[in-house]
Formats: sequence, structure tokens, C-alpha cells
Amino acid sequence: MARVLRSETGKGLALSAPATLYVGLLVAVPLCILVAYSFWTQTYVEIDRTLTWANYQEAFTDPLVRHLMIRSVAIAGAVTLATVCLAYPIAYFIAFRTQKKTLWLLLITIPFWSSYLLRVFSWKLILGFNGVLNSALISLGLIQEPLTFLLYNEFAVVLTLAHAWAPFAILPIYVSLQKIDRSVLEAATDLGCNKLERFVRVTLPLTVPGVIAACLIIFIPTVGDYVTPALVGGSQGKMVANLIQVQFGAANNWPLGATLSLLAMLSVGCVAILFVVVVTALGRRIR
Amino acid sequence: MSEQNIIEIQGVEKRFGSFVAVSDLNLTLKEGEFFSLLGPSGCGKTTALRIIAGFQDHEEGEIRIDGRTMGEVPANKRPTNMVFQSYAIFPHLNVGDNVGFGLRKTKFSRKEIKERVAEALEMVELGGLQDRKANELSGGQRQRVALARALVMRPKVLLLDEPLSALDKNLREAMQLEMRRLQQKLGITFVMVTHDQYEAMTMSDRIGVMFAGQLKQVDKPEVLYSQPCNREVASFIGGMNFLDAEVTAENAETLEVNVKGLGKMEIGVNPNVQVHDKELLVGVRPEQLEISAEKPDGYDALVQGEVSDVAFYGESVHYYVRVDGLKDSIAVAVPNYFHTVDHTRGDTVWLGVQSASVIDLGKRESLGGDK
Repeated sequence: MARVLRSETGKGLALSAPATLYVGLLVAVPLCILVAYSFWTQTYVEIDRTLTWANYQEAFTDPLVRHLMIRSVAIAGAVTLATVCLAYPIAYFIAFRTQKKTLWLLLITIPFWSSYLLRVFSWKLILGFNGVLNSALISLGLIQEPLTFLLYNEFAVVLTLAHAWAPFAILPIYVSLQKIDRSVLEAATDLGCNKLERFVRVTLPLTVPGVIAACLIIFIPTVGDYVTPALVGGSQGKMVANLIQVQFGAANNWPLGATLSLLAMLSVGCVAILFVVVVTALGRRIR
Repeated sequence: MSEQNIIEIQGVEKRFGSFVAVSDLNLTLKEGEFFSLLGPSGCGKTTALRIIAGFQDHEEGEIRIDGRTMGEVPANKRPTNMVFQSYAIFPHLNVGDNVGFGLRKTKFSRKEIKERVAEALEMVELGGLQDRKANELSGGQRQRVALARALVMRPKVLLLDEPLSALDKNLREAMQLEMRRLQQKLGITFVMVTHDQYEAMTMSDRIGVMFAGQLKQVDKPEVLYSQPCNREVASFIGGMNFLDAEVTAENAETLEVNVKGLGKMEIGVNPNVQVHDKELLVGVRPEQLEISAEKPDGYDALVQGEVSDVAFYGESVHYYVRVDGLKDSIAVAVPNYFHTVDHTRGDTVWLGVQSASVIDLGKRESLGGDK
């Protein structure tokens, strides 16, 4: 035993054991239970444990499920795109254009000093019928009636989530920019590139890993988010997670909820893998 | 080397805040010349190179490359290319794409680019390695890729920033000769920055020695060695014993001096020295001194001393000899012809000096920052 622990493999296993155990018990086991549930059915008060594809059939045939699934992926995609596009210039600024990097990184984490729920709620106060934005615009005389398209729709969901996830996009992109050897950028200039060409041919390809990380970090949790759509999404902003929540709550249909969860996971996984493959291939094509 | 001027630098000055990195730089380089900027770290040589490349702006003065004033010309439009100290190989590209990077911007077709890349890689002896990934290259190979990537652009001037400092000694010496051959074959002007005097001497047609932002002397290696303009330059290139002397008479081409420790002699006036004073500094190269247990014949000055240290270098043996009345011991280098170390610490020896090997280094105070 002692010899096993002293070997490199043994050390590795020993070091990773706590995390493996933790993840195993709290992720793998619940996941297995979820898979099991998805093949069972709900009778009024108890679970019928005969295995069946019925839940999957229902999920695939119900237009509402398909609609919400597509909307979730679309909203998460929009959030990811918006966040990364906004985060990249900020990360670029911190990495290349300022000496006060620590201060800026600190400022970026400030939103985390308050709770996620409070931040979502603040957006409600800003965007609402009698909210900050509407009152300001009315008192400035720019509009007569409060704007109603601000809150309770997809726009509000995308805006709120993009704000909430911004730091998660800025940090990995910043790290990948910071890692770039400055003389490599000078070499590109030396070989005739102007600033734009240099960005496209050197900076961007070298930050592809950071951009992919940012996209995955944002996209995956966003697809399954239910707090934000529930608070600011209204009826047209609802996402698949809201439906799943209903199955586990009011509708009391755990097996269907489990099935929907698994399908959501599966589609997120597929989209994410496709994304990584396509972006990596694109990055390689830039020469 | 032609007579055509390729680089003309006039009165260039660069300050970082109150620190003067490059001060009143004047330099004219001929087409096809191999020029080295030599100096200790922080002397401003790299800044000077970056000013030529266009990576660094400058406050005063003017730079002309190939007859064109470079004032507002950005780095990407200058007829120069650079080999970076870290080599700056693009990590996301393979060898072929690294070398072809600059050509893709030009009018060449894909086929022509491919041919030129192959040719450039042949030239640096990396033929056929186009598909090798950047992270699979050794240090020497990275250096060659960086060289090929710059040379493939056929620049008017190739700038090299300490190009060999990251290589081990054997590889460095091989690359010195190879780069020199390449430069002579291509006829491109090379401007190299280095802190290694041997590297500068073996490779260059001319060397500019820089100290504290000032270009002190520009000359052929052999002239720098035999007629350095002051103490700084003399001590940076090769070894040198410095001795105080007093001028007793000044003639047109010679000085009659009384050298402390060596006595009276007549030495040649060093044309590179600007100011002569009664208080003179002279120098003798360690390898130009004779050391012997018996009193030798035929020397202009003889002095007796005691060996205080012996250092064995392989190709030569260095003896440090303490002489009465002199603060520093005198270094003597003896070529290792017979695989013997003739003197040991504590031996009493004679040192023989020819007056022709005593170098006039101008006034003694020239240690400081004057020009």
C-alpha cells in the first residue's frame, strides 16, 4: 500500500481521490437516478417502475418541449455571442492597454459582491413599467408613455444574463491574451501586417482557446437557467428549465422532468462539441 | 560591400522620462555590411535597433533607409526585417506557414510562396521541415526559422537582436560562421545587437561600441582591438592591463611617456583618442607581454614581479603578476603551445614589454561619461 502511494500514479490517484469521490457521489449517482426516473412513469401518487420509452415519446412529440428547447439554445447562444463580443474588447484593454491590471480585474468582479438573485431583480427594477429607465426617459421628455418592450421578453433575459456572465467571459479571454508573447505581435508587424491583419492572423487565433472556454462557461449554464427567465422573461422568455421545474413541482411528474433534463443535457453537449470542433477548425485555417 | 549608403542615422535621441536611452546617435552603414552594435546590457543598443525597425519612436534626429526618410513610416512598411531575441515564432503555425507569413501579404501566388519558403528553408538547412509544428522545434531550429522568415522577405536591412544568445556555446559558434556566410552570399546589410564581444568580432565588418546610450567608437574589429578610443572600449573588447603614465614629450606621431611600473618609453599616438593630457592612461594586452623566469633580452621595458594567481583556460594560461608600486596585478596570457604551466603562485618572474604594444588610451579621467 505504502509503495503504491509513493509511485507517481499512486500519488496522482491519492491526490484526486477526494474530488473524484465528491463528484462521484454528488454528480454521477444523482445522474444515474435521473436516468432511471426517465424510464419510469408517474401515477397519481407513486412511481411505476416498469421501464418504458413513453416519456421520451412524449418529449419528442410535444411541440411545446421542442419549442422551448430551441428557444433555450437560441437565447443561450445569443447570450454567449453578446457576452463574448462585449468581453473581448474589455479583456484586450486590460491585457494590452493598461498598467492597472489588478484594479481592473477587481472592478470586473464587483458584480459578484451581491447575490445573483439580487442582480436579476435589479434589472427588473431598471427595465420595469415604472422602472428606472422608463422614469428617466419620461422625466427627460424623450417618451410620453413607459416603454413596455423592455421587460418580460427574450431581450430582457439576454440582457440580464449577458450582464451576469460578463466576468466569466472576460477572465479566460484576458488570460489567453496575457499569455501571448509580445514579440510575436511585433514579428507580425515586422512582416508587414497592419493592426487589423495582425489581430486577425495572430492575436485572434492565439486566443481561440480562451474564447472557446468563455463560450462554454457561459453557454452551458445559461441553457439551463431558470431564475432569470422566471423573473424577467415573462411568457415569451420562458426556457426549458422552467418547464422542467414545473414537472418536478406543480405538475408533479418527475419522470417527465428527468427525461427533459437529460434531453436538455444531451442537446447542450451536442451543440458544445459541434461548436468546439467548428471553431478549432476555423482557427487552424487562419494562416 | 558596395559604396552605397543603406542606413543613415543623424542625431537620433530617445528618452524614457528623464532617462536618456540613446543619445545623439550618428551612424552610416554601407550596403552589404555586417554591422554589430556591441555594449553591456542597458546601454541602449536594443533601443537603437528598435528605432531603426520602427518599433520605437524617437524624439530627435532622422533615419534614412535606402535613401528614404523613415520619420512617419510605420514598422510594417519599412524595408527592414527583424530576428527577435526570443525568435517570436508564431506558436499556432507550422514551420512553412511561419516562414511564409510575410509573403502571404504580398502579390505572390500560392505556388510562388511555396517555392520561396522551400528555398528559404533550404538556405538555413531546414529543407523539408515545412509541416513541423512550432512547438516541436529545438532552440537552434527556432533560430533558423526566425532567420528564414525574415530573409524570405528579401529586406534591405536585416536586424538581429541578440540572435544567438539563447543557444549553447558550440551551436552558437557554428551559427556565427553560418550567418556570416549567409550574409556574404545574400549581400544583405545585417545589423546585429550583441553583448558578446567575440560574437561581434568574428561576424562583423564593423562594430559600434555603445555605453550609456552613447556610441563611443565605430571601427573594424581589429582597429577596435588595437586602437580603442578610451578605457571603456578597451576593457569591453578583449583583456587589457591599464597603467598610469606621464607624458614627458609630445611629438607628431609619438609620445614620450614614463609608464608607472615599466619606466620610460616612446609609444605611438592613438588616432582614435580625442584628448591627450599630461596624465595619460596606457594599456597593454595580456597576450602581448612576455613572462619568463630568467631575464629576457630584446624588450623595451623589463619589470620583475611575483605570480599571485594562475588561471588555466585550455588554449592559454593566464598569470597574474604583482609588481611593486602597482595597485593592480598585471595579467599575462601565454598560448598553451607545449601543454605546460611554467610558473606557479609565489614564483618571481620577469615581464618583458615592447613599446609598440603599449596602447595610448588618452586622458585618465575618461572612465566617466564624456565622449
